[in-house]
Amino acid sequence: MRTAAPHVGAGHAPAPTARSSWPVELDRVCVTYPNGTRALRDVSLRVEPGEMVAVVGLSGSGKSTLIRTVNGLVPATSGTVRVGPHQVTALRGRALREVRGHVGMIFQGFNLAERVDVLHNVLVGRFAHTPAWRSLLGRPSAADRELALRALDSVGMLEKVWTRAGSLSGGQKQRVAIARALTQEPGVMLADEPVASLDPPTAHAVMADLRRINAEQGLTVVVNIHLMDLARQYTTRMIGLRAGEVVYDGPAPDATDADFEQIYGRPVQPRDVLGAGA
Amino acid sequence: MTAVDLAGRVPARPRHVVRTALAVAGLVAFTVATCLPAIGGVELDLGSIARYWRNGADKLAELAQPNLAFAPRTVAPMLETLQMALVGAAVAALLSVPLTLWAARATNPSTPARVAVRTVVNVVRAVPDLVYATVLVAMVGVGALPGVLTLVLFDVGIVVKLVSEAIDSSDHGYMEAGRAAGGTQTQINRVTALPQVAPLFANQWLYVLELNVRISAILGIVGAGGIGRLLDERRAFYAYGDVSVVILEILVVVVVIEVLSNLLRRRLV
Amino acid sequence: MSAATVTSPRVDPPVTRTALPPRPSRLWPTLWALVVGAVVLAAAAGLSITWDELPALPGKVAGYLRLMFADPSWDKLPRALLETWRSISMAWTGAILCVVASLPLGLLAARGVGPAWLRLGLRACFAVLRAVPEVVLALVLLTVTGLTPLTGALALGIAGIGTQARWVYEAVESVQEGASQAVRAAGGTAAHVTRWAIWPAISPTVLSFALYRFEINIRTSAVLGLVGAGGIGSMLSNYTNFRQWDTVGMLLIVVVAATMLMDTVSGAIRRRIMEGARVRDVGRGA
Repeated sequence: MRTAAPHVGAGHAPAPTARSSWPVELDRVCVTYPNGTRALRDVSLRVEPGEMVAVVGLSGSGKSTLIRTVNGLVPATSGTVRVGPHQVTALRGRALREVRGHVGMIFQGFNLAERVDVLHNVLVGRFAHTPAWRSLLGRPSAADRELALRALDSVGMLEKVWTRAGSLSGGQKQRVAIARALTQEPGVMLADEPVASLDPPTAHAVMADLRRINAEQGLTVVVNIHLMDLARQYTTRMIGLRAGEVVYDGPAPDATDADFEQIYGRPVQPRDVLGAGA
Repeated sequence: MTAVDLAGRVPARPRHVVRTALAVAGLVAFTVATCLPAIGGVELDLGSIARYWRNGADKLAELAQPNLAFAPRTVAPMLETLQMALVGAAVAALLSVPLTLWAARATNPSTPARVAVRTVVNVVRAVPDLVYATVLVAMVGVGALPGVLTLVLFDVGIVVKLVSEAIDSSDHGYMEAGRAAGGTQTQINRVTALPQVAPLFANQWLYVLELNVRISAILGIVGAGGIGRLLDERRAFYAYGDVSVVILEILVVVVVIEVLSNLLRRRLV
Repeated sequence: MSAATVTSPRVDPPVTRTALPPRPSRLWPTLWALVVGAVVLAAAAGLSITWDELPALPGKVAGYLRLMFADPSWDKLPRALLETWRSISMAWTGAILCVVASLPLGLLAARGVGPAWLRLGLRACFAVLRAVPEVVLALVLLTVTGLTPLTGALALGIAGIGTQARWVYEAVESVQEGASQAVRAAGGTAAHVTRWAIWPAISPTVLSFALYRFEINIRTSAVLGLVGAGGIGSMLSNYTNFRQWDTVGMLLIVVVAATMLMDTVSGAIRRRIMEGARVRDVGRGA
């Protein structure tokens, strides 16, 4: 299998389009875990619709927590989170699931069901829009199927539709995961260290995919990343987190090494950059 | 080599004298207590073995001469045994799927529901197979029905416990993706978790099928159908040549089923 | 409820059918499922069960359960506790017998310890022992030791050897080669290798398996009581035959409670043993 993923788009159908792009707004959000760890301290920020934002910080800085408060996977201890027209922090149960249905998310570990074929992994993205009995019977509606196939086509994975996810390469898995998120027809796309498990060329290809989705569809993208060069190259705005607090917020391409040292709280090291890829 | 004074420089050997002594003393005390007939322990009556070993040897000698002419009469009961084993395993397989997903932390985040299912399963597992058979025979009468019910209860206990523990000890990243996409736990379980854990189930189902053949061979002793009834009947008539044929047949069938299920298992995993 | 669901979906041209690779054939899995289903149904139909009585079954069983557990009779509790202890004794002595016999036998049957002919012979014996039900063994032993708990203990001890010895040789074979090679390189004999390389590596596993044997025996000892080896099983069998359901209910409660208690205690000790082993492995043990 080729390792370098081709750039999405050329020769493929366009990705399923978001109905509308949503802003994300955090107001004085604190998260304290049951074991006493204070992961976020009084974080306030606003991401405009169609922005592509990098959240930068060392591991343990609260990046993962921040991104998970947006779709309520981690409930905020205090403060409010708004996504588009919804106040996530006020919702529970069915209403919360409905909002999550419109917020796409991709993960460092891809989080695919490895023994399940690609199509059904992608159909996970339709959960919130599918009646329970359809999921129980394993019979997707024609429209859901169409959305899933179109999303797969847009990341160049259509020919793998019947392959088990476990037998794909890392880059292919992440593209299937992107297709899963696109199938949700999201208003916001969240990405938690999407390239940390990939080799450099594949990492660049996946970042380029996210960039292209953002550019073509105007979809809001929030991506957690710890590599300086990827943040500079692919995103427009950068938010720096240290010990659960926002310590930097500015345009990403112009961020200097000094800015990164301020975010990391230590001198820049070679492992903070990925290096040239494809 | 020059003599170096090591005294005082050798670190003291770490010992848990008290702990080890207590553990050994406890073990010995428990063992002795289990061998005191006065309080209900086992009487290690080696004298009786010395006196009566000939009885056992005679019996073994008789068993060593299987009466092969009896073999045709064992076919029907043996078939019944196999049918009971298969039906019991199949019913248990159907019941075990929802119960297992209910009993595993990964597939059921609700603690009260999980604890309830686990408690019931643990109680079911604590009753030995033949005890079920004895009580069920008294309830629903002699025949294959109490046998099948016994096997179902026994199998469900094993499958639910082993598979739910296996589910909990493995990683389930796809659950987070399902939740992030707004799925309910039921949707996540059906579409992703079930195919993911299917091999665990298949493995245990084959295992209980093997166990069932073994158990259903003896269930007849308490009247629950199968070849065990024949075994008990021939023994009551002191027809050890016939008993021997039955035992041999059980051995052969158990080994054949074990080989077959190992072949299947290799293909499934 | 959400604003986003209000907008109508965009109409895109459908993905052309030719672009979609053909779905792999589902013929064989479907055929297999049908065959298995048919065999199970045939087996069920062949059983001498009067199926039309089945709907009445739950009510019937519920009635008996009420008889047993609505008001269990506690008069015979002291006797039941004594018989329980007898069953536990049977299980424990049986476990000790089994472990003591299976350790050397299992070691000899491990690859790289004994000669090949001995290994294959022993493994064949273990396989046969695994296939013989304990109850059948007990029936033979009854003629020597009579209707006593000793019969039960012997049956448990001998019947368990098949499985227990297999666990031992599997544990030995999973030991890393390194330690054995080091002992051999230093001029050690087979006995040295066993004592200083194999035993330290397998002892936690073997001890844990020994306790597990005890847990298994607890269940089986009740079964052996049913064929006359004494203990709680004999008592249960008697009162079931007398149809004294309130006493049967009490006895079942005692069996379940005793089994779960023993499982918990033995399981806790097993976990301690295995955790101790892990700590020593990383060299943090003091």
